[in-house]
Formats: sequence, structure tokens, C-alpha cells
Amino acid sequence: MDLKEKRLIKKVRKGDQQAFAELVEQYKNSVFGICLRMVGNTQEAEDLSQEAFIRAYKHIDQYDHERKFSTWLFRIATNLSIDFLRRRKNNVSLDAVVPGTEGLSLNTILPDEGEKPDDRIVRKETEEMVQMEIKKLPEKYRLAIILKYIEDLSLKEISEIMDIPVGTVKTRIHRGREMLRKNMIEGGKTV
Amino acid sequence: MSCESEQYMSLMNKVLDQEATKQEEEALFAHLAVCDECRVHFNELKTATELLRRLTHPHLPASFTKNVLDQLPPDKRHAIRRWGSRHPVLTTVALCAVPMSLVMIGTRRQWKEKSGYALVKMSGDQT
Repeated sequence: MDLKEKRLIKKVRKGDQQAFAELVEQYKNSVFGICLRMVGNTQEAEDLSQEAFIRAYKHIDQYDHERKFSTWLFRIATNLSIDFLRRRKNNVSLDAVVPGTEGLSLNTILPDEGEKPDDRIVRKETEEMVQMEIKKLPEKYRLAIILKYIEDLSLKEISEIMDIPVGTVKTRIHRGREMLRKNMIEGGKTV
Repeated sequence: MSCESEQYMSLMNKVLDQEATKQEEEALFAHLAVCDECRVHFNELKTATELLRRLTHPHLPASFTKNVLDQLPPDKRHAIRRWGSRHPVLTTVALCAVPMSLVMIGTRRQWKEKSGYALVKMSGDQT
């Protein structure tokens, strides 16, 4: 971890909120990305990200400075997302209000500048399809796949975030990948 | 998959995880050249991961950080320390001012005591 981050965390421990704001700026989009791909809804993901940062601030004393701060933060975010999914599962009526691809509005998928409108539509459709397929995966596979392929984290980091051995991470990535492949073909949408 | 050899499945995983040795990689590609089923399977796996990698990274609105800060518990530090960390120069000046003012108050009091004593003495003389 770089020195600047260490210094910031030291300040946060003393209660410096401006220092914390710098950490939020640095990691907010990664945290949001994890939450969004886990729950599939922009508003819920933003609320979960907010809660993750508030928790990190309140419990900064529990952070072990020998480890990466991002790993600790992502662990909080994934735990909150999983808790949220479990709560939602118990509340079927709420789940019905939240359609699978609602989180992927045009605001979320910022198109590249200069992209033709047709390309944009195709890309949006592909993204929606992929998000839907991610959502179909069981939570434990979904999380491993998101951390590996969307957040591009190392197996070691994923194992620390998920609190499982590296070997188990690999198995989950393999199974998740295989399920994704199968579902995409069954959906008849593999490009 | 119906291809007899499960070993190719684990080879595919190794190659996709970029953990295969040169020989393992060659063994897999040699097999893929002759087995349509495995080749299709491997390409599908690659496409699936490629689609994941290409997903857009979403961005939060700029107001997000402020919203988080607004919800934090009040600053644990005393207001004076908070102010101090934001204005280090003024803090130094303020800290130096404390002993200075003590000295000044002390001098003033000494001077007052002296003049008070003189007044008492004077009134004592009159009676």
C-alpha cells in the first residue's frame, strides 16, 4: 500500500473526515461496481456503497494496516451486498418490483464518445444480457466472477475478500464460468 | 460435455487462468484442432469471459462523496484539534500566544499588587 494511503488512514483513525473523503473518491467507483453487479440495481447499489463507506469509517479501528485497505473495504461491500440479497430473497414482492436489468440504464453505461447510435444500442443490449446472466449465477459464483473479471483482482485478493482459500476461489471461478457459458448458449445469445 | 476426456476440461481451465505450462497449452490446442466439441466449448468459455471483461465500469455521481460525509458520525476529535489540523500556522501562533499572554497577565498583576499595596499603606498612614 502506498505511503499516501497509509498517511490518510492514520488521519482517519484520528477522526479526520477530509482524509476519509479522499479515500472515498479513490475507491467509490470500484465499490459501486461490485455492488451493482451483485444486486443489479443502480439505486440499491449506490445505497449499499454509501453504507459500506460509512461502516468502514466507523470501524476503521478494526482495519489491519498490514493488509491492503481496498481488500478490507471490498469485503465490507460484498458482505453488505450478500446480506441485502438474502433480505430481498425473503421479500418476494420487493423482488418482483426490481426487474433484472433495471440497474443498467443509459446513465450507467456511459457510451464512448463518437460511437454510432446503432453500436450503442447493440452494446447496451449486450451489457443487459451479460448483467442478466451474472444475476442468474448463485451468489458465491457470482461474487468470484465479478471480482475476477470485472474488478480484475488477483486470486489472493479475492480469497481474502471472500475469506476462502485460493483453491476454492479457483473452483468457484471455473464453475461460474462454465455456468455462464451454458446459460448464454441456452439464451441463444452467445455472440 | 460428452468428450470422453475430462482432462481437457481441466486443461481449458488452466489455459484460461493463464496457469498452464507451454506443454499443457500445446496439448490442449492439439486436441482442439481435432475435437470440434471441445473447440466450440473452449471458444464459448473465452467469449463469456471476454463479455465480462468488456462490461462498462459504472461511475457514481460527484455528489456521492459529500452524501457519505454528511452521514458520518460527528468528528471524534475536539473542535479545536480539527481546526488545528486545517490551520497549522495559526495553531502555532495561538500556542505561542498562550505563554505570552500568561507572562503579560502576570506582569500586570504584579504591577497591580504593588500599586494596591501602596494604596493600603497610604491609607494606613492616615489613621
